[in-house]
Amino acid sequence: MREVEFVLDRETGRLEVRIRGILGPACDDVARHARELLGVPVREAPTAEYRLRPAVRPRVRPRGGA
Amino acid sequence: MSKYLSFQADAFTDRRLLLAALTDLGYRDVEQGEALALYGYQGDRRPETAELVIRRGHVGRLSNDLGFKRTAEGYVPVVSEYDQRTLLGGRFLVRLRTAYSEQAVEEIRRRLAGTVQRTVEGDVVRIRVRF
Repeated sequence: MREVEFVLDRETGRLEVRIRGILGPACDDVARHARELLGVPVREAPTAEYRLRPAVRPRVRPRGGA
Repeated sequence: MSKYLSFQADAFTDRRLLLAALTDLGYRDVEQGEALALYGYQGDRRPETAELVIRRGHVGRLSNDLGFKRTAEGYVPVVSEYDQRTLLGGRFLVRLRTAYSEQAVEEIRRRLAGTVQRTVEGDVVRIRVRF
């Protein structure tokens, strides 16, 4: 399950956005929505999970004989 | 967690969400236009202009017009020092930022077609959107 957690501090007005469960730059799509509506973040940090790439193995099909 | 972003800027990027946040705080009468003049509590014209204006009659007897000036970063509040100190107990900008963030979270949830779980602990609101 993919999840975005918003932590809003009503005392200071600070909003933190934590994007979870989305491997690699695909989470940039979610971050793009946040930037579009909330502006430029004062802090932005990719985590270890962000640096992972989805494992995609090329499928090799046996060639049919001519 | 794959990415972490933190927001606390004074500019409000989305006009529609800003108007909705102002409505949440009780400011429904907002004049919209280009470079609208701003007036002080004595009716004196101020040097600043703004694209969104709440006239002082809707704010308070000793208040000045509240404005939002469009810039490249978004709509920036034009609020007198007096009003910053007195409106909503001196917390006008924090309350507006909070209301705006709530509107933005709901818009992101809608775009992601997600479900929401909300918890409140003191002043901290946690909103989890799953999609």
